[in-house]
Amino acid sequence: MRHLISILLQNEAGALARVAGLFAARGYNIESLTVAATGDEEASRLSLVVYGDDAVVEQIVKQSRKLVDVISIEELTTRQHVERELVVVRFAASGLAWANSHARVLSSGSDQCVAEFSGHADDVDEFLTQLAIRATVHDVARSGLAALAS
Amino acid sequence: MNAQLDTPGDISSKIHPRAGQALTGADVVVQVLADEGLDVLFGYSGGAILPVYDAIFRHNLENLRADGSEPLPLIVPANEQGACFMAAGYARASGKVGAALVTSGPGATNAVTPVRDCTADSIPLVVISGQVPTASIGTDAFQEAPISTIMGACAKHVFLVTDASALEATLRTAFYIARSGRPGPVVVDIPKDVQNTVVTFEGAGELPVPGYRARLRAIEQTPLSDARCAEFFAALKASSRPLIYAGGGIITDGARDALRDFAHSFGLPVTTTLMGIGGYDTTDPLALHMLGMHGTAYANYAVDDCDFIFALGARFDDRVVGVPDKFAPLARTIAQIDIDPAEIGKVKQADWFHTGTLRTSLERLRAWGIAHGFQANYSAWHEHIGQLKSRHRLDYDRQSALIQPYAVIEAINRITRGHAIISTGVGQHQMWSAQYFDFCEPRRWLTSGSMGTMGFGLPAAIGAQFARPDLVVIDVDGDASIRMNLGELETVTTYNLPVKVVVLNNVGDGMVRQWQKLFFKGRFSASDKSLHKKDFVKAAEADGFGWAQRLDDPAAIESTIAQFLAFEGPAFLEVMIDPDAGVYPMVGPGACYAQMVTGDFIASRDEVPAAPLPTVASPTGMF
Ligand SMILES: Cc1ncc(C[n+]2csc(CCOP(=O)(O)OP(=O)(O)O)c2C)c(N)n1
Ligand SMILES: [Mg+2]
Repeated sequence: MRHLISILLQNEAGALARVAGLFAARGYNIESLTVAATGDEEASRLSLVVYGDDAVVEQIVKQSRKLVDVISIEELTTRQHVERELVVVRFAASGLAWANSHARVLSSGSDQCVAEFSGHADDVDEFLTQLAIRATVHDVARSGLAALAS
Repeated sequence: MNAQLDTPGDISSKIHPRAGQALTGADVVVQVLADEGLDVLFGYSGGAILPVYDAIFRHNLENLRADGSEPLPLIVPANEQGACFMAAGYARASGKVGAALVTSGPGATNAVTPVRDCTADSIPLVVISGQVPTASIGTDAFQEAPISTIMGACAKHVFLVTDASALEATLRTAFYIARSGRPGPVVVDIPKDVQNTVVTFEGAGELPVPGYRARLRAIEQTPLSDARCAEFFAALKASSRPLIYAGGGIITDGARDALRDFAHSFGLPVTTTLMGIGGYDTTDPLALHMLGMHGTAYANYAVDDCDFIFALGARFDDRVVGVPDKFAPLARTIAQIDIDPAEIGKVKQADWFHTGTLRTSLERLRAWGIAHGFQANYSAWHEHIGQLKSRHRLDYDRQSALIQPYAVIEAINRITRGHAIISTGVGQHQMWSAQYFDFCEPRRWLTSGSMGTMGFGLPAAIGAQFARPDLVVIDVDGDASIRMNLGELETVTTYNLPVKVVVLNNVGDGMVRQWQKLFFKGRFSASDKSLHKKDFVKAAEADGFGWAQRLDDPAAIESTIAQFLAFEGPAFLEVMIDPDAGVYPMVGPGACYAQMVTGDFIASRDEVPAAPLPTVASPTGMF
């Protein structure tokens, strides 16, 4: 099962490495991870996506909660929440017309274009699938999830 | 690094005599160590920690005691692993935070094993490591190692102090984190320029660490409600065969008395984990000694028979439960108290649990039970336990012409009677010590439980002797384990510590051979040391031991051990034991208790017909 975990982390030397290291040490693959500043300059917000059965994820959440730098941690999957992801994609110019009506085109040249799309992670997947049907996709950069309880 | 200080309201009530003074970072380190009440430090010097070492030297010179002794003696080991295990031995024996100081790079990486060992056994330790100057971090400078990253994966917490103004608060916070909640090691990595920077000493203040403090407060301040107490006793009432399974948490939390009073008030037998040994007097009639892979047969059978199991500061470790689904198969209730929320239900789902401190929780439960007139009669269960203890008692080959290790331990125990501090290496000798020694009090049994680190015994004994100069400290070691930190023999004599070292020499890695016999058809790959040339007695003599002997005559066990323990200074005894002596009982890896192998000298249930389990309480009781 897919789990979405949100962590408020103190900005300390090595804090991010300790969170990532804990997941690695306990055998978890982090599917996606976003880290960014919050309004409070002392803290950052992390959003993680991991796959695993509920009991195992509950244990990793409890272990993460023991990290001294963690201010708070919550599993959003079981709660009301909103989640968004951004993708920037470079593709062959043949896809330009379709992209123009389904995404925001950021640059276009005679053989390659770059567009951005944002939405639920499933919509991002779908957008990329549809685009690939219409044009060769050269590069994809996904932001990972940004999520909050709602 | 967070420079903001946490300033509790009553701070002005006690102003530090040096508050407001301009001190170097190095002097700040030493002042905080002194403020934390330390009376001994362990460490090895080097370029990146020199300012701190100099500050210790000056501190000791300026603050010499009336009797000429130093207030913060710095004990120098053979290497940094030794220093940190000494500090850990000091912490285990005293209950206080131990402190070690090491240099950057190799000094700090030598500290990794003991730091991990302390995390795994929940031992409070602060390691202060020098680091290359801030400007050189990340340049592959001489003796640079990424200590905050390396230790981040091993320690309870790590600080890399890049701002000298936060050093004092960081150090105080390190001690707070090491000792609070579930204790553990904290590493403070201090670049050399930070040690040399002059700052204003505040004399108080810690970092906010808001998440950690809030969580701890929530745990410590959540009392056991009346309703939860009632639930607990309702489940206990429905039980006719309750059993307490106590772990290291009892010792960490100073809950020995609370556990004894609880067990005695309601008549619950107690088995402990390897880490819990000493948390309950092993000579008490309700004591079942250790459970698990090499637990006593009677403790393991009692676990198989119980219908209610009460886990206290114990974490259902794989060496205890074997196969989780088959652990305590008849238990209808699993109750659990732990200070660490992550341990609740981690391995076995708990039917009743409380996250909190053990001592207060047990006192609360006991008071509730007494106030509500809880009475149960477990005399049939006590009788059953009594039968298990006599039928399946520990035993060994008493006719053998070779010295049996168990007999050596029994001989020591007849003199020390459960009051000496015993440290061990890792292997068969460790398990024999756990099984055959009595422990009447907590903090007398020092062993690397979770990590199982060979080489722990000797430095831990040294640290313990500094913590408890009033007690007999004995390192019961293996011939292979002691080799790992053999350099520390010299440390014993350098400081003229009356530590007693016993090596149970079975000419090799006995525990490894035991597994190779069982699972690799007796192919002793790399575990036999019969071609090794070391003369342990000469080695001890060379390191200055005034009493060093080899014992190989079974008839001389009693007299030699009496002399050995009676010797006033450091003493070393090598005992040539039966190399085939095994550790029994044994619950093999992946096996359940019912499949326990008891060996040739301990009765198994397969041979002794089991009496039917008591279900009805009979009228007489032990309490
Ligand atoms: C540092 C370390 N390396 C390897 C091991 C694996 N190991 C566990 S017990 C053991 C043999 C120990 O031999 P010895 O100290 O002589 O004790 P004995 O079993 O013979 O009593 C080994 C190699 C370990 N526990 N720790
Ligand atoms: Mg050996």
